[in-house]
Amino acid sequence: MSHTNPPQYWRSLGELADTPEFRAHLEAEFPTKDSPEGFSRRRMLQLMGASMVLATAGSCRWKEREELPFNKRPENRTPGKFERYATAMELGGTVLGLLVTCVDGRPIKVEGNPKHPNSLGATNAYAQAAILELYDPDRSRHIIEKTPQGDQVRSWEQFSEFAKKHFEEYRKNGGEGLAILSEKNHSRTECELEGKFAIAFPKAKICKYHPFVIDEDLPQYDFSNAKIIVCLDADILGLHPNSVKYARQFAKTRAAAGERSSRLYVIESNYSITGAMADHRLALPSTEIAKLPRVLCKAIENDHSLIDLEKRLPIATFQFIKAIVTDLKSNRRKSIVVVGSECMEELGNDILFLNSALDNLGRLVQIRGYVASNPSTAKQEIDLGEFVNLMKRGDIKTLLVQGCNPAYDSPAELEFTKAFKQVSNIVHLGLYRNETSAFSHWHVPQSHVFESWNDLLMSEGCYSVQQPMLEPLYGGKSRIELLSLIVGDENHSPLDMLRASFKKLVSSRQKEIDVEKTWRETLHEGIHILPNSDLMAVPGMSDFISKGLAEEYSETSTEVSSNDKNAPVPVQSISNGQLEITFRPSPAVYDGRFANLSWLQEMPDPITRLTWDNVAIFSPATAEKLGVKHEEIVKLKFKGREIEIPAYILPGQADGSVAVTLGYGRTAAGKVGGSEKDGVAPVGVNTYKLRTSDAMWFGTGLTVEPTGRMHQLASVAEHFAINRDRIGEHGRQERLGELVREATLAEYQKDPDFAKKIDHHPPLESLWEEHKNEGHRWGLTVDLSKCVGCGACVVACMAENNVPVVGKERIFKNREMHWLRIDRYFRGDAQNPQIVFQPVMCQQCEMAPCEGVCPVGATAHSKEGLNDMVYNRCVGTRYCANNCPYKVRRFNFFNYHKQYEDPANEVLKMASNPEVTVRMRGVMEKCTYCVQRIQAAKIEAKNEKREIRDGEIRTACQQVCPAGAIIFGDLSDKNSAVSRSLADDRSYQMLGELNTKPRTAYLARIRNPNPELEKAEKIEGNHHGGTEGTE
Amino acid sequence: MSTATEIIDNLTDDPRRRAPLVIGGEDFASVTETVCRVPEAKKTPLLWYAAFALSGSIALYFVALIGYLVFTGIGVWGNNSPVFWAFDITNFVFWIGIGHAGTLISAILFLFRQKWRTSINRFSEAMTIFAVICALIFPGIHVGRIWLAYWLSPYPNQMSVWPNFRSPLLWDVFAVSTYFTVSLMFWYLGMIPDLATLRDRATTKLRYFLYGTFALGWRGSARQWHVYERAYLLLAGLSTPLVVSVHSVVSTDFAVAQLPGWHSTILPPYFVAGAIFSGFAMVVTLLVPARKIFGLENLVTVRHLDNMNKIILATGSMVGYAYFIEFFMAWYSGNPYEWFAAMNRAAGPYAPLYWLMVFCNVLVPQLFWFKKWRTTPALMLIVAVLVNVGMWLERFVIIVVSLSRDFLPSSWSMYYPTWVDISMLIGSFGLFFTFFLLFVRFLPMVAMAEVKGVMKKKDEV
Repeated sequence: MSHTNPPQYWRSLGELADTPEFRAHLEAEFPTKDSPEGFSRRRMLQLMGASMVLATAGSCRWKEREELPFNKRPENRTPGKFERYATAMELGGTVLGLLVTCVDGRPIKVEGNPKHPNSLGATNAYAQAAILELYDPDRSRHIIEKTPQGDQVRSWEQFSEFAKKHFEEYRKNGGEGLAILSEKNHSRTECELEGKFAIAFPKAKICKYHPFVIDEDLPQYDFSNAKIIVCLDADILGLHPNSVKYARQFAKTRAAAGERSSRLYVIESNYSITGAMADHRLALPSTEIAKLPRVLCKAIENDHSLIDLEKRLPIATFQFIKAIVTDLKSNRRKSIVVVGSECMEELGNDILFLNSALDNLGRLVQIRGYVASNPSTAKQEIDLGEFVNLMKRGDIKTLLVQGCNPAYDSPAELEFTKAFKQVSNIVHLGLYRNETSAFSHWHVPQSHVFESWNDLLMSEGCYSVQQPMLEPLYGGKSRIELLSLIVGDENHSPLDMLRASFKKLVSSRQKEIDVEKTWRETLHEGIHILPNSDLMAVPGMSDFISKGLAEEYSETSTEVSSNDKNAPVPVQSISNGQLEITFRPSPAVYDGRFANLSWLQEMPDPITRLTWDNVAIFSPATAEKLGVKHEEIVKLKFKGREIEIPAYILPGQADGSVAVTLGYGRTAAGKVGGSEKDGVAPVGVNTYKLRTSDAMWFGTGLTVEPTGRMHQLASVAEHFAINRDRIGEHGRQERLGELVREATLAEYQKDPDFAKKIDHHPPLESLWEEHKNEGHRWGLTVDLSKCVGCGACVVACMAENNVPVVGKERIFKNREMHWLRIDRYFRGDAQNPQIVFQPVMCQQCEMAPCEGVCPVGATAHSKEGLNDMVYNRCVGTRYCANNCPYKVRRFNFFNYHKQYEDPANEVLKMASNPEVTVRMRGVMEKCTYCVQRIQAAKIEAKNEKREIRDGEIRTACQQVCPAGAIIFGDLSDKNSAVSRSLADDRSYQMLGELNTKPRTAYLARIRNPNPELEKAEKIEGNHHGGTEGTE
Repeated sequence: MSTATEIIDNLTDDPRRRAPLVIGGEDFASVTETVCRVPEAKKTPLLWYAAFALSGSIALYFVALIGYLVFTGIGVWGNNSPVFWAFDITNFVFWIGIGHAGTLISAILFLFRQKWRTSINRFSEAMTIFAVICALIFPGIHVGRIWLAYWLSPYPNQMSVWPNFRSPLLWDVFAVSTYFTVSLMFWYLGMIPDLATLRDRATTKLRYFLYGTFALGWRGSARQWHVYERAYLLLAGLSTPLVVSVHSVVSTDFAVAQLPGWHSTILPPYFVAGAIFSGFAMVVTLLVPARKIFGLENLVTVRHLDNMNKIILATGSMVGYAYFIEFFMAWYSGNPYEWFAAMNRAAGPYAPLYWLMVFCNVLVPQLFWFKKWRTTPALMLIVAVLVNVGMWLERFVIIVVSLSRDFLPSSWSMYYPTWVDISMLIGSFGLFFTFFLLFVRFLPMVAMAEVKGVMKKKDEV
C-alpha cells in the first residue's frame, strides 16, 4: 500500500503511536483518501490474498483463555503430579474412608483408604461417582432468595446479614417456631453445634430424617470367621450400608476354598446380589420373612417345634428352615443371622436374641459402640411425623433444611409439600436446587464432601476426618458453616471447630498422647481409632442385655408357639389386592440423591441389568396370574395412592411380592436425572409416592392393574423373555458351564482340577510364531468365588479411563461403552434360578484375534504382553471388535464428548483423568489393564532405581473391588500375587480353546451347599421340569 | 436375403450347423445402425429423462446421506455391539458380487472362445464397473474416521508406519482396487473401435471431438487391430485370475476371522460361485428390459439369455451345495460354536431371512431346468430378480446373523436397520442406475466390432 509515510506505517506501532497521522489512520479503520494512488494490480492481489489468509487464520483461532502460573507455588506441589489425600464420606449411616487422587489441585479419582476399617481400601459405586457429583454442572451455584420479584441472586454477606437479624429474634423467644430438619449423620462438630443450638434456642425443634437409615446404631457383624451366615432379607453384600466391609469379610471366608468356606443361606423377597452369592436361596415375601426370626428362635430352642413346622410349611420351605436350624446349631459361636437394616427397628431384638442363643453375640455380632448422638439435643429431637404436624399447624415459622430432600423422599402420607407451604421462612442448604428448594425462601448451595471439613465418628469408635480437596467451586457452604452462623459461632473456622472437638474426644488420653501430633496423624491417615476403653455400650442395647435376653425371650417364644397365625404360611394364592410391595434403595442412584450422576444412571443394575430406569419386579408366576407382560406399564395401587411403572419379570422374585426401586422420577435433579425447569423428563418413576411411614420397606394390600401400554427398558443384556427362541436357549445352556465354571465344595475337594477339565479340545498349537516376551508379563485374575457382582468396578473403570456415558437411547441399541462389564447368567431351575456373575474386561490375549485383522495396525502387542490400542492410528473399521470373541471392544459411534462443547459444562472436563486420552468419534477403545497406572509405576520405579514391587500397580477395578476378587500383577514374577492366583487349581481361561492365550484368568466359583438340602432341592427341581439355563 | 434370415429361433441345436449368434438377417451395416441408434438419437426419449430424474435424485440423496454420515458418525446406522458390520459390508459384498459377471464374460469366456459373449460383454462390463464403484463406496464410508481412510494405503510417510499386511481388509483394498482398474481398462480398451465408429458417424463437432478423443486415433488399420487384439488377450489373461481372486479375498475378510459362521475354508470358492451367480442374475435383470427397449433382440438373442440362465442354474446349485456343506462341516467338525452358528441361521431369530435366502438362491434357480423358464424373458426376469434379493440376503445372513450371536451369550444382540441403512441401500441402486442410464445413452451398448467378428460373412453364407 502506498502511504504518505510508508516506512512509518510498516514499522513498530508504538513508534507511531503519537503521530497525528497515525491516530487519524487508526480512527478511520479503512482509510480512503490515500489508497488509490500508485496502487498496482499486483499489490492489490497481494493484499487481497493476504487479507484472505489472515481472515481465515483469524477465524480459526480457538477461544483465548488465561492460564496463569502460581504467583507462589504451593508447598510440595509439582505440577502434573498426582497427590492423594485421605478423607471420608458418609452415606446411609456409615462412613467410608477414602483416598482422593488430585492432580494440580483438582480431585480426579476416589479410592478407598486401606487403613479405614469400613473401606479396607475399597469403595462402592456411589463413592466412585462422587467425582462426577463434585463437577456436576447442574449443582447449585448461587444463593437464591425468593422475592416477590422472582428469584434473586444474593451474596453470602447478604445472607448472613439476613440470618443474623432473623435468628436474633428467635434468641429472644427461646427459639419458639424455629426448627431444623437435617439428615442423620455422624458429624461430631455438627453434633456439638446442635448442642449449642439447643442451648441458644431451647424451644426450637430438631428433626433428623434419612429415607433409608432407620436405626443409626446397627450391630456390627464380623463375617470373616463365620461358618454359617443366614440373611433374612438382608443384602449384606449389596445395599447394606456396610456392604464394602462385609463383602471383603465374606470374600475372606471364600478365599481358599477349603476349610474356611462359609455357607450362606439367603431368604429374601427380591433377588439381591447376596442372594446370587448364596449357597441356598429361598424366595419368600418380606412379610413372611419378618416372622422367621421367631420361628428360628423357637426351632433352635426346641426340637419339637420343627416337627410342628413340618405340618404347616410347604416342603421346600420346611427343608430349608430345617437345614438352617441344623447348621446353626452345629456351628454355635461361628454363625451369624442377619436381618436387613430396614427391619432392624422391628426385628432387632429378635435377631439379637437369636444370635445370643447361638452364642454369637459379643463374638461375631457386636453391639458395643460409641454413641454419637448428643444428649443435650435429645429432648428437642422429634420424629418426622410429629414434625410435619407441627409444620401443618403453623407452629414452625422458620425452618432450616440441611442437605436432605424431604419434598421428594419423605413418606407419602405426610404430604410434606403441603406442610412446607405453612412455613413462612424456609432456608434450604443443598447441593442442588432440588424439589425441596422449590419451597424454600432462601437457598444456599451446599459444599461438596470434597470441598468441606467434617469429622465423622462411627459407633464402633472409628473417627474419620473429611478434609476438603479444593475450595468450593460454587462458593458452597457446609452444614457446619451454616449452623455456626446461626448459633453465632461463625468466627470459628470449621477446621478450628474440628480440632476442638477432636481435642475433646481424646481428652481422656491427653496425658498419654500428643494431641497435636495425633491430630496431624489423623489428618494424614484419615482415621483415628478410639481405644476400646472409650467405647461404651449403645444405651438401648445395653439395657437389652442387662435385662437378660434369655428370660425375655423364653416368654416370647412360648407366646409364638401358642400363636399359630404368626407362623409363616405358604403363598399359594396370588390374589390381586393382597399383594405385597417391597421398596428397596437403588444400587445406582441410592435414594435419588445421585440421580443426576450419569455414571451411576448408566451402571447396570446387578440383577436386572437395567440402566436409566426403575421397574416393578414380578415373579413369572405372579405376572402370569395378573396378566402382566414384561415391559408393560402397570398401575400399582397401594393405600389409596397409585403410580404407573414398567413391569419387569424376574425369575427368583418371591411369588405374590412386587419389588420397586426407590430413587427415580426426580423432577428437579438436573439435566441428567430429570428437571421440569429445563424440560428434561424424569428418569424412571417416583416410587416414594407409594411409600408410607407404616410401610417404609414392605406392606401388603397392593393392587396391580396392567395398562396394556409398553415401555422399552434399557437393558445391557438380552432379557430371558425377549427373543426366547429354543436355539438361543440351547446355546446358552451349552456354553454356560464352560464360561462360568463352578463346583460344590465337595466336588472340588474330590477333584481340585475340575475347572481345567471342563472344556475338551485337541492340543493347542499356534500356526505362526508367537510373540516374544521381554521383561514384565502383566496378567490379571478374577476370583468368581469372591466376586459379588456389585458393579463398583464398572463405575471405577469409567472414572479412571474417561469412559463416556452414552445414554438410554444408545443402550437400546447396545452401544454402551463400559470397558468392564459384568455378565450375569441365570442357571438352573427356571422358577428359582441361581445367578452367576462374571466380570469381563479385555482379556489381553497373547495371540490376540483383534491384532491381526486391523488394517492399519492400530492395535498392537506390547513387549509386556499388553494388547495396546493406538487411538490416534485407529480409523474405525471395527474389524477388531468383530473378531474379538469376548466382545470387550467398544466403538465411538458418535462424538460422546459433545457435551463438553457446551460452555456450561466446561467444569465437567475437570473430572477427566489427564493420563488417559479422551477418545474421539469413530475410534475403537477397550480396557488397557489401566496402562497409565503401569507406566506411572514404571517411571517411579526407574527414578528410584528399583524393581516394581508386587502389588504396587493396581488396576482401577482391582482397587475398588470390595471383595478383593481381582488381582493384577507381573506373571514373570513367580511369587507375585497374580502368579500365585493363576497357579490356583481353580484357574481357567475363558474360551481358552480358541488359543487366544488370554492373560486374564478366572478362578472357578466354589459353592458350599448343604448336602442334605441340595439333595432335597434336586428332587424338587426335577418336578419343575429339569434345568434350564437362561441369560 | 440369406438363409439366416429365416432362422428366428436359434435355440434348437442342429448338429449339422452352428446356431447363429446374430439372427434376423442382420448384416454389418444393420448391426452398426442398431447399436448406434441409441447414442446417436437426436431426441432423447422422455422415458430416459424420467428414469434419469428418478435414479439421479436417488443418487443425490445417497450423496447427501453420505454427508450426513460423515458429519454425524457411524451411529446413524443400526450397527451396534456385537454387530459392528451390517448393511455397510453387506452392500459392499453384494455389489462386488454383482461386479463379477462382466469380467467373467469378457475375460474367461473370451479365453474359452465362447463367442456368444460378444453381444453381452460390453453391457455386463459396464455393469461391473458401476457395481464396483457402488461397492467401493461402502468400505470407504463405513470406517469411523473417513478422513483418515487413506491410511489403509501403503504410502511412504513421515510416521514411517505401514499398513498391517496381515489384515484381510488390506488385501481387500488391493484386490478390489486392482480389479476395478483392470476392469476399467478392459472395458475401455474393448470400446476403442466402437468409439471410433461413433466418431466417424458423428454429426456434430462436439460429438466428433469427444468420441474422437476417446477413440485415441483409431483408424482400424491392420497394425492397430493386431496390437489391439494382443492387448485384449493380455488383459483377458490378467483379468481371469482376478475374477477368482477378488471375491476370494473378499471372503477372507470373513474366513480369516475367528467368528463361528465366518471361520470356514469353504468361503472363497463359495463366494466366487455366489458372485458369478449374482452377477449373471443382474445382467439378466438389466438385459431383458434393455434388449426390448432398444430393439436389440437380434443381437442379444434368447439363446444368449438361455446360456446365461444355464450359468445361473449351475452357480446357483453350487451355492446351494455350499449351504449344505456349511451345515455338514459345522456338524462334522464337532465344534459346538460352529454348529450353533449354523443352527442359529436356520432356527434363530433371523431364520425367516435365511429360509427366504434358501428359497431365492437354491430353489428358484431350479426352474431353469425347464427350457420354458430359461427362454421366456418375463419368467427369467422373475428368477433373476429373486436371485438378486437372495444374494443380498446371503451376505446379510453371513455377516449380521453370525455377528449377532457369537461366543459369549451375554453380548448377543439383535440388529435392526435404521432409515439411513435402508436409504443407503436404495441410494446405491440410484447411483448404479444413474451410471447405467448415462452409459446406454452415450456409449455403444453392444461391442459392434466384436459382434461383427462372430457374424457369418456374406460369402460364407
